[in-house]
Amino acid sequence: MFKSVKNAMAGIFITLFLSSSALAAGQFDGVTLLVGTWGGLWKDNQVENIVSKFEAEGGKVEFVTGSPAANFAKIVAARGQAPFDVVEILAAQVKDYHELDVLHPLDLSLIPNTEFLSESRYNEWLVGSWETQEVICYHKDKFAEEGIPVPTTYRDLVHPKLAGRIQFPDINSGGGLTGLAGVTFAEGGDETNIEPGLNLVKEMNVLKFWARGGETMAQFESGDIIASVVHAGWCLRTKKLAGQNVTTVHPRINDELVGVASEGWFGVMKNSKNAEAAQWYINQFISADYQLKMAIKTGLVPVNQSVFEAMAEDPLVAEMIVLDPEKVANQLRVDYSKVIIPDWTDQWNRAIAQ
Amino acid sequence: MKFVTYRLQKAIGRFFFGLYCSISYIFLLSPMVVVIGTSLNGPTENVEASFTFPPDSFSLYWYTQIPEGQIDALLLSFVLATVASLCGCLLGVPAALGLVRSNVPGKALISAIFRAPLQIPAIVTGIAFLQLFYWIGDLTGFYWQGSIIGLALGHIFIATPYVVGTVTAILQRFDTRLEEAAVIHGASPRRAFFRVTLPVIMPGVYAGALYAFMVSFSDVPVAIFLSSPGFVTYPVEIFFALENDFEPSLMASATLVIIICLLLLLLVQKVIGLDALLKVGGSRGVG
Amino acid sequence: MWVRWWILLIPPLIVGFTLVAASQFVFLRASFFEDLGLGRVGDELVIENYVQFLTDGFYLKILWVTVKTSALAALSTLILGFPVAYLIARMRSSWSMILLAGIVVSTFITIVIKVYGLIVIFSANGLFNQTMLAIGLFDKPFSVFGNETGVVIGLMHFTLGFGVLLLYSIIQTIPKSLESAAQIHGANRWRVYYRIIFPLSLPGVTAMLLMVFNMCMGAFTSAALLGGGLVFTLPVMIQRIVMMDIKYSMGATIAAVLLVSVIIINLLSIYLLRRLRAAHLVVV
Repeated sequence: MFKSVKNAMAGIFITLFLSSSALAAGQFDGVTLLVGTWGGLWKDNQVENIVSKFEAEGGKVEFVTGSPAANFAKIVAARGQAPFDVVEILAAQVKDYHELDVLHPLDLSLIPNTEFLSESRYNEWLVGSWETQEVICYHKDKFAEEGIPVPTTYRDLVHPKLAGRIQFPDINSGGGLTGLAGVTFAEGGDETNIEPGLNLVKEMNVLKFWARGGETMAQFESGDIIASVVHAGWCLRTKKLAGQNVTTVHPRINDELVGVASEGWFGVMKNSKNAEAAQWYINQFISADYQLKMAIKTGLVPVNQSVFEAMAEDPLVAEMIVLDPEKVANQLRVDYSKVIIPDWTDQWNRAIAQ
Repeated sequence: MKFVTYRLQKAIGRFFFGLYCSISYIFLLSPMVVVIGTSLNGPTENVEASFTFPPDSFSLYWYTQIPEGQIDALLLSFVLATVASLCGCLLGVPAALGLVRSNVPGKALISAIFRAPLQIPAIVTGIAFLQLFYWIGDLTGFYWQGSIIGLALGHIFIATPYVVGTVTAILQRFDTRLEEAAVIHGASPRRAFFRVTLPVIMPGVYAGALYAFMVSFSDVPVAIFLSSPGFVTYPVEIFFALENDFEPSLMASATLVIIICLLLLLLVQKVIGLDALLKVGGSRGVG
Repeated sequence: MWVRWWILLIPPLIVGFTLVAASQFVFLRASFFEDLGLGRVGDELVIENYVQFLTDGFYLKILWVTVKTSALAALSTLILGFPVAYLIARMRSSWSMILLAGIVVSTFITIVIKVYGLIVIFSANGLFNQTMLAIGLFDKPFSVFGNETGVVIGLMHFTLGFGVLLLYSIIQTIPKSLESAAQIHGANRWRVYYRIIFPLSLPGVTAMLLMVFNMCMGAFTSAALLGGGLVFTLPVMIQRIVMMDIKYSMGATIAAVLLVSVIIINLLSIYLLRRLRAAHLVVV
C-alpha cells in the first residue's frame, strides 16, 4: 500500500518534472545516445516505446545491434573507446566488464524504477534488464504423432526418434553458457566440472547447434527439428510468429531445482559523455510499462516485479513461462564468478567438433 | 546398319551429356531460384515467417518489410564496391602496363607481389588487416577498422589482382606495332597511347573493374573483421540476420541483390559483351 | 617504345607492397606474443602459440578437416564444372551466351544468399527431401547441417561458377580442329576426351584446382552457417577465437598456420606437376 502511494507520488513528480522541462526545452536536447542491443523485434520494441519518449526530450538514439558477445568484442577492439553509451550485458560477461574496467558507476537516484527490482538485480555498476527461462521447446503435435514421451529432463532428449532432430545452443551463442550449465548441473557436474554435461550433449545427437536464436524458429518451421533447448521467448515467438504448435518444458535439474534462469544487465560505459541520458534510458527500460510490453511480445521475463500479475493474463505467457515467485526462486542460477569461460569454451570445442 | 548404331550412340551420348550439364545447372542455380521464389510468399494468418517454396501465394509484402539496416548495408556495399573497383583500376592498370611493357629486372617477383592477395586465404587477409589497424591505431590514435578507409583498403587489396590480371592478359596479345605505326605517322607517344592503346585495353579494364566490384560486393571473410556498428556490408549484415528474427524479408532483400547483379551483367553485355569478359581471362587473376 | 613504362610500376608497387608487407608483418608478429585473453598480449616474443597448435591433436584435426573439405570441394567443382565449361566453349549458338550468363550471375551473388537458398531447399519439409522421400531414394531426410557433406556442398556453391569460368577459358585455348581431326581418324568421343582434351587441359585444370582449393581454404561462410557448430574448419575457428573468445594472438597463429599450409600445398602441387611433365607422363 505504502509502496503504491509512493509510486504514484513519484509518477506525479516525474510527470510534472518532465512537462515543465518540456516547456522550457527538451531534457536531452542535442544528445545522441548510442545503445548496444540486439536487433530485430527486440530493437523495434525499444524504438516504439522508449526512443519516442527520448526524442520528445530532444534527443536521438542510435542503435548498435549485435549479440552481447559481439558488442563486447567491439569494446575490446576499440581499446576501451566504446562505440556506445549504454550496453546490454549477459551475466556471464559481468566479470570481463569489471576486469577491463570499462563501466561507469551508476547514480541510482537517476534510475528510480530500480525500486521494483529485487535487490540482487541492481548495484552501483549494473542494473538488471531482463531474465530468461531456459527451457526445452518441443513440437506438441509431432511428439504426439510419433509417440515420443514429453521430456521432463535434459536426459529425456536422448531418444532414438529425436536423433538428428533437436537443437542445442552453441557455446558461442547467447544461450550457450546457460545451456551447458543446465545440462552440467542436471548430470551432477558443477562450475568446475562440466564433463558430465558435455557427455550428455554428445549423447543427444543434435542436428546442429544454434548460434542465433532465430534459427530455432526457422527450423521448427522447416520441419528440420521438433525440439530445441532455447529460452522460453524463442518458443513463444515460434508459436506466435511462425504458427508452430510448440510449448515449453522447464527441465528438472535435481531434487530441488526445476528450470534454468539466465540474467541480462545494462551497464553504462565509462567513456560515455551521455551518462545521464544512458541512465534515463535504463530507467525507461525497467519501467513497468515497457517491461510488460517486452514480456508479452518477446517472451522474456521482466525484472520489474510489479508486472507479473498483468503478465499472467496473457495466455501464451502463462502457458510457457513460470511466474510463481516460489518456483522462480527454485530455478538454477549459475554463479559465473566461479566459471572460467575460456576453459568452458575450449572443452566444448574439443568435445563437440566432429 | 552400322551407321544407324553410330548415330544412335551419338544421340545417347548427347542425351547423357545434356542431362549431366542440366544437373550441374540445377545445382548451381537452384538456391537463387528458391530465394527469389520464397521472397514472393505473402503473409499468411498467424504464420508470419513463411519460407515455403514454391511460394503459397504471390505478394510483394516482404519487400515492404526489408529492415532499414539491410538497406543501409546494401548502400554501403555498393559504395564500397565502387571505391574498390575504381581504386583497383587506378592501381591495376598502370601495374599491368608496367609489367608487360617494361624490362625491369625482377619482374617475376613484382608480379608475385601483385598476385599475393589471391594466394592469401581471405580470412587471413581479414584478420591481418584487423591487426594492422590495431597497430596503426595504437601508434596514432586513429583506428581504421570499422571505417570506410579500413574496409576500402581491405577490399582494394583483394580486388586489385583481378584488374591486373585482365589488363595483363589483353596487353600480352596487343600488337605494339600498332602504336609504333601511330607514332611514325606523327602522333606523340602520349597521343598514340590514348588513341590506340587505351581503346584496345578498355575491355580488359571494364572486365577487371567488374570482377573487382563483385569480389568486394560479395565478400564476407574480410568485411566480417573490418565492419563495425552501423558500418556493416550487406553480406555480413545478412550473415548475422538470424541473430534476430528469421523473416522472409531477408529473401526479399537478397532478391534485390540478385536483380542488381543481373542489371550489371546486362550493362556489361551491352558495353563489352559477356564473352569479352572471359576472353580477357580475368577470372584467372594474374596467374 | 620511347615511354619509360617502369615508372608506371612504381605507385602500384609501393601500395601493393606496403599492403602485403605491412598486413602480413603485423599479423605474423602478433602471432608470436603470448595471449592473455580479452584482447591483451604479453610483452615478449614467444613461440608458445605455435607449439600449442602443432602439439594439439584437436587443432591438427581441424587443419585436416579444412584441407579435406577444400580438396573435396575443388574436385567436385571440377567434375561438375568441366562438362558445362566444355559445352559452353564448344557451343555455336546464341544459347551459349545465356548459359554463360547463368554461370556469371551465380559467381557474382554472395555465398550468404546462396546458403540461405540451400537451407530452404534441403529443409526436411523442403522440395528436395520431400521428392527424395516420395521416390523412396531416402528413408529419412538429408540435412545440409552439421556434417561435412553439407559444408562441401556449400563450398561448391562458392566455387562452381568461378570454376566453370576458369575451365571455359582453358578449354577455349584447345583448338577444336584437334578434336575433329581425331574423330575423323576414328577416335570415339571418349577417346577424344581421354587422349586430347584431358592432357591438353591438365596444366590449366591444375591451376584451376589450386585456385579453387585456395578459395575454399579461406572461405568462412559455408562452414559457419552449415557446419552448425559441429564441423570446425580453420576459418571458423579463427572467427570464433578472434570475435568470441577475443584471443587475438592465438587467432593470428591459427591464421598463420592456415597461410603456411596453403603455400606448402600449392608449392607441392606445382612441384609434382613439374616432375610429371619432366617424366613425360603428361604432354605439354
